[in-house]
Amino acid sequence: MADQSSAPKPSSSVKLVLLGEAAVGKSSLVLRFVNNDFQENKEPTIGAAFLTQKISLPSRIIKFEIWDTAGQERFASLAPMYYRNAQAALVVYDLTKPTSLIKARHWVAELQRQASPGIVIALVGNKLDLCAESSGDNDSAADSPADAEEGGAEPGEAEPTDNGDARKISTREAKSYAEEEGLLFFETSAKTGTNVADVFSAIANAIPETSLKGSRGAAGGGTQAALSGAANRADEARVNLADRAKQKSDNCAC
Amino acid sequence: MLSSLVQKFIDQSPLSSNNDHRPSKAALFRDQFRLPAGQHPLHEITAELFLPLPSSAAAGPLTSGEKSRDSGNRYVGDLHLSEHFLCFSTIRTSFLPGASHTASIAFTGPTQGAGPGGNGFTLPLCSIRRVERLNSHHDKFSLALTTFESLQKALTDKTKASLPFPRKLVLTLDGSRLACERFCDGLKRGLREGMKEVDSLRTVVSQCFSEYLLDPARLKAREEGTKPPDPPDTGLGILFRYPGDARKLRDKSKIRLWGEYMRENGRNATIVRQPTFHKLIRVGLPNRLRGEIWEICSGSFYTRLRNPNLYEKTLAKFTGQESLAIDEIEKDLNRSLPEYPGFQSEEGIGRLRRVLTAYSWTNEEVGYCQAMNIVVAALLIYMSESQAFFTLGALCDRLLPGYYSKDMYGTLLDQRVFENLVERTMPVLWEHLVKSDVNLSVVSLPWFLSLYINSMPLVFAFRVLDVFFLEGPKVLFQVGLAILRINGEELLDVHDDGSFISVLKNYFSRLDESAHPHSENEKLRAITKFQELMVTAFKEFAGITHASIEELRAKHIDNVKAGLATFAKRTSIRNLGPESKKLSADDLSAIYDRFFSVLAERQKRAKLREEERRRQEQQKTRPGLWTHHSDRNHDEPARNIAPLQTMDYDAFREFLANTAKWALTDSPTSVSKDLSKPVTSQRNRSHTLLQWGSGPQPADHDFMQRLYGKWDESHQGEMTLQQLVRGLARIKGTTDIMNSMSLFFELFDDDNTGKVDREGILRMSESLLFLSRRGFDGTITPSDFGNGMISPVSAADAKDGLQMSTNEKFLGSVSAFIRRCFEYADPDEVVESTSSKLQAATINEPAEEEDLLDLTETKSVSKQPASPKPAEHDPLSEVTPPGTAVKPTPILEGSRRSSSRAASHNLALDPSKPLHITLPTFRMVILADELLEQFFESFFPQSFHLSDSPNSSTVSLPSSTLSGNLTTFSNLGTPVKNLINGASNKTVIDVGRAGGVVEPGSRGLRGVLDNIVNDGMRMAAEMRKRMEETQREFERNAREQGHSRPYRDEEDDDDDDDDEKGAELGRRDQELLEGAEVASIKTEGSRSRAVSSATTETGTGPKKGEGGGGGGRDLG
Repeated sequence: MADQSSAPKPSSSVKLVLLGEAAVGKSSLVLRFVNNDFQENKEPTIGAAFLTQKISLPSRIIKFEIWDTAGQERFASLAPMYYRNAQAALVVYDLTKPTSLIKARHWVAELQRQASPGIVIALVGNKLDLCAESSGDNDSAADSPADAEEGGAEPGEAEPTDNGDARKISTREAKSYAEEEGLLFFETSAKTGTNVADVFSAIANAIPETSLKGSRGAAGGGTQAALSGAANRADEARVNLADRAKQKSDNCAC
Repeated sequence: MLSSLVQKFIDQSPLSSNNDHRPSKAALFRDQFRLPAGQHPLHEITAELFLPLPSSAAAGPLTSGEKSRDSGNRYVGDLHLSEHFLCFSTIRTSFLPGASHTASIAFTGPTQGAGPGGNGFTLPLCSIRRVERLNSHHDKFSLALTTFESLQKALTDKTKASLPFPRKLVLTLDGSRLACERFCDGLKRGLREGMKEVDSLRTVVSQCFSEYLLDPARLKAREEGTKPPDPPDTGLGILFRYPGDARKLRDKSKIRLWGEYMRENGRNATIVRQPTFHKLIRVGLPNRLRGEIWEICSGSFYTRLRNPNLYEKTLAKFTGQESLAIDEIEKDLNRSLPEYPGFQSEEGIGRLRRVLTAYSWTNEEVGYCQAMNIVVAALLIYMSESQAFFTLGALCDRLLPGYYSKDMYGTLLDQRVFENLVERTMPVLWEHLVKSDVNLSVVSLPWFLSLYINSMPLVFAFRVLDVFFLEGPKVLFQVGLAILRINGEELLDVHDDGSFISVLKNYFSRLDESAHPHSENEKLRAITKFQELMVTAFKEFAGITHASIEELRAKHIDNVKAGLATFAKRTSIRNLGPESKKLSADDLSAIYDRFFSVLAERQKRAKLREEERRRQEQQKTRPGLWTHHSDRNHDEPARNIAPLQTMDYDAFREFLANTAKWALTDSPTSVSKDLSKPVTSQRNRSHTLLQWGSGPQPADHDFMQRLYGKWDESHQGEMTLQQLVRGLARIKGTTDIMNSMSLFFELFDDDNTGKVDREGILRMSESLLFLSRRGFDGTITPSDFGNGMISPVSAADAKDGLQMSTNEKFLGSVSAFIRRCFEYADPDEVVESTSSKLQAATINEPAEEEDLLDLTETKSVSKQPASPKPAEHDPLSEVTPPGTAVKPTPILEGSRRSSSRAASHNLALDPSKPLHITLPTFRMVILADELLEQFFESFFPQSFHLSDSPNSSTVSLPSSTLSGNLTTFSNLGTPVKNLINGASNKTVIDVGRAGGVVEPGSRGLRGVLDNIVNDGMRMAAEMRKRMEETQREFERNAREQGHSRPYRDEEDDDDDDDDEKGAELGRRDQELLEGAEVASIKTEGSRSRAVSSATTETGTGPKKGEGGGGGGRDLG
């Protein structure tokens, strides 16, 4: 797009799959990420929906090929078809629904055993907007991805409070699980946009250089700091957000 | 022998036909004509259908077949009669492989295979109003059928000359006189029965648009400008417009054509399919008739006819109830065809909710699956709620089998079939897809799952549906293949999933455009892409028939199901929780398989029993008539029950019987007695047999109940796989003796207080005997030469001698266990009198001592001088003479203060002084005995055979285990019978000697078993007797108030007994027997239950006790 022309960056595509219990907001996360939109009523995903979105890192462009899978339990047997060869996975749960984290754990276990080795998994607790504290923090930030990024930069600090909070899964619990399993971890709101872009940026940064295949003849422009550890990811994510905000307006055609 | 009978019964049952993939003839017949369940091909005969042309109507009523020979259409085909239908089709029925009807080829419609393809009719018998036997030459049977609507018309429209004559269908039967007569008899009988359903027919028909369309009253009203009658509900479309431009779709002329067709060929229930019928469907159905034709083609019309109010009844029945399916439905209601205005309204969403909910109740196996919402939403645009409900049923049961079921096997299977077809018909494209690693299913799965409804624009998807309902699932394949063929060129340039999808997405969005926009030929330019698609699908892929699809399905189904099973197993085992990790993968896999095979078998047997019950009921209610088709009355569509996921206690017993030897019943062929449970309705012997099928029959024992109660954490009789695994993992996961002792102890700690009371101690000992009654598989060796490792079961027989003595010794250990438990038990905190307080203080002492020992020197406890002599010293002396074995006196030989001993002993038996043992005490008592130690160290955990066991063969070959048991027991048969029949002296001696003397062969083994059980019972009885004695003693003491040494006397008595064993034995035995009787007769509370369950195992409780007693006397 516009920023691409000035400095042609290598472009690579990443296959990403979304998994998680029904109605945790998988499709909404994708819709927020791809169209910066939120819909109350979306047709349920039959099998899987396919969408793409590009994200620009300092050194390259990542084109996400997103497989948004059906969440209903019985569709689980179809999932291998979709996570086959995936380089990244978003395992989504609903912060207000404890069973959804159990299901998420099951997905993580399945991915770790059955998906391609080295798959980057991000654990995402969605519906942050329903949690009292975060909504207090982020009221002003709602609907603006650039602002949302500030508000949600430190998902780890949110702790459950009791007053009118629908949150059922504490940040600490999920985070420690994520650390244990070596997952990226975010709490998001597809409705307000909080942290949504960060998730995808972090994933883009976490994909090991070696597993990237250039999609348009960009033969592995290999000077990235992609190998930098998880510690750097958050920073990079923030940097890239500016890019992404700009990109958003151009990208609608996709 | 019995098992083989059962097996035979199972083999003959209709259920087993599901096991191979060949459907029954009746099923094929129902599929062919889309008939509801319960219809069978009663009679079939080759026939010629003659349809007089309407133009010949002027010739007047038809009187002879000859006269109109040239003015009508003739079709040769098969005429079938079922319980409620008369069906005719020119298409050779697939279940008559020998039949060939070359004559009908010319008239064969474009459909092949199952479904109401071909020309013909499916007439509900209740719609036939008159059958005339025509005068015929050539010695043939000719029948003229008049259906209800033509009569009706004749009556109402007599005045109108322009209307056609009352339509008649002339059938000429082609068969022997006998065959024809038999057919006619059947028809007569069916017609008589059919009269009962005329009301249903009237109701259902009145809801059909065709009825309204041809209603003379409506036509008249239109002519006269008066208010016409209300049209029937033809879906949401009438409220919110039908999709597409009605003018462009030429809806009016289509309606007119259909009106004409139906005037001549009947409508709804009585429509006759001629080639025009198929053509009219191919060009697309008119909006308001669409629902009705879908209903007739799919056969849901006939299901509705059989049970017109099922939809309303179902809704009413389940009002207000909740289910998982309903939750899932609610999530999707707002997102089903949201672009259609009807589904942005409460009206449309309400209809969708009701239909999906009602269906989820009638088919629990399916419940609700995403995509059903889309399909039903589409149906509701053209259909009433009730129509959509039945049509959804036809989809799930017949047209899309397994698509929406819990594992969606049908979806996966058809994807495999589709891939196979692509590979076969478009090898180049297929190779390209494989090379570029594009997964075809990624695009094609939603096509099939939602019938193209959310892939194509609605108008076109409905066109596909029109043909789909008529010709069946092969249409989905044909259209799918055509899509790929048409886009083949472009697809060959594509190298990833994403672009693959977008090529097709783009194609679907342009279906209404010209297929040849640049052609010079105007006609060619007028052809849309969709028309091109239809032509390609049905011309180029005409070779894709129902038969070829079925063939491919049969080829792949095992693979698909196996894949799904593996997936389910893998997922399920992975998610069993952290405790499951203690077990090996093989063990988990074995548990998983056994768990579900037991459940599946049980469910299957329950179904068989239910069928048997119904059959009997039916024979009672209607003897004679139709008996050979007994399920014809099951008009109520059988509710599909979801497969079981949890075990009740009986299932658990069955699981254990496949897992542990001790869980097998001792009387496998007899009626199992659930003494402790309310007997479930077991109507007769065959039911009881079916209860356990051909597998090993489980025992029922207090121990098993406790195990179940402990593991079933929900306490609702629903043990999940996870709970079962957790339970087994705790026992088998660690080989720590401490762990296995605590687990055992916890089973008897009923209220989690850490204490087990007197009753519990007795039950513990009963359980120990129960567990050990089938030997130890060499896990327990009384002396030092063995290390407690397992020796195979087969070796056990060879080591009879060793085993027997082991059993004998173990018995001694158990009796010692009871004594020690009572000795070291702590009294409950009951303060009654000073004397009991005093006793309590004394007794606490030794228990504490032992606690210390237990903590510090667990392993060497058995060698502590303080502890009683281990059994190995002289087991026989303790065990074989029954009197001494249970004698309380040898408890503490020497090392204890005798007064305290006696006191504690008596206190132990005093029912008014509750006492208990704690876990440490229990451990101490166990570790004090070498055999019991080994029991918990090796036998107990190892007795659960999972993947590692030689016993695991019981899972794959249950019958072999059973026969093994039968052998054992047939050997036992005679002597046991003798015992039961009052014990000749010789037999009694045998039993007794088996305790100490090695008998050759099975007799010895039997003796051991008998002896163990006998002695166990005797011991329990003795304890009870003593408890009662002591109670009496107390009462006496209470009467003799102020007695200085209340217990001393009694102890002296005991000592005396010791001294003069022989003299006293007879009396003791007598008492003992009385005790046994008292104990087993007692009905009060739980105590009697324990005894009776112990006696159940032998089946001959008191009498055996007698035999054992006699044996003891002989030896003594």
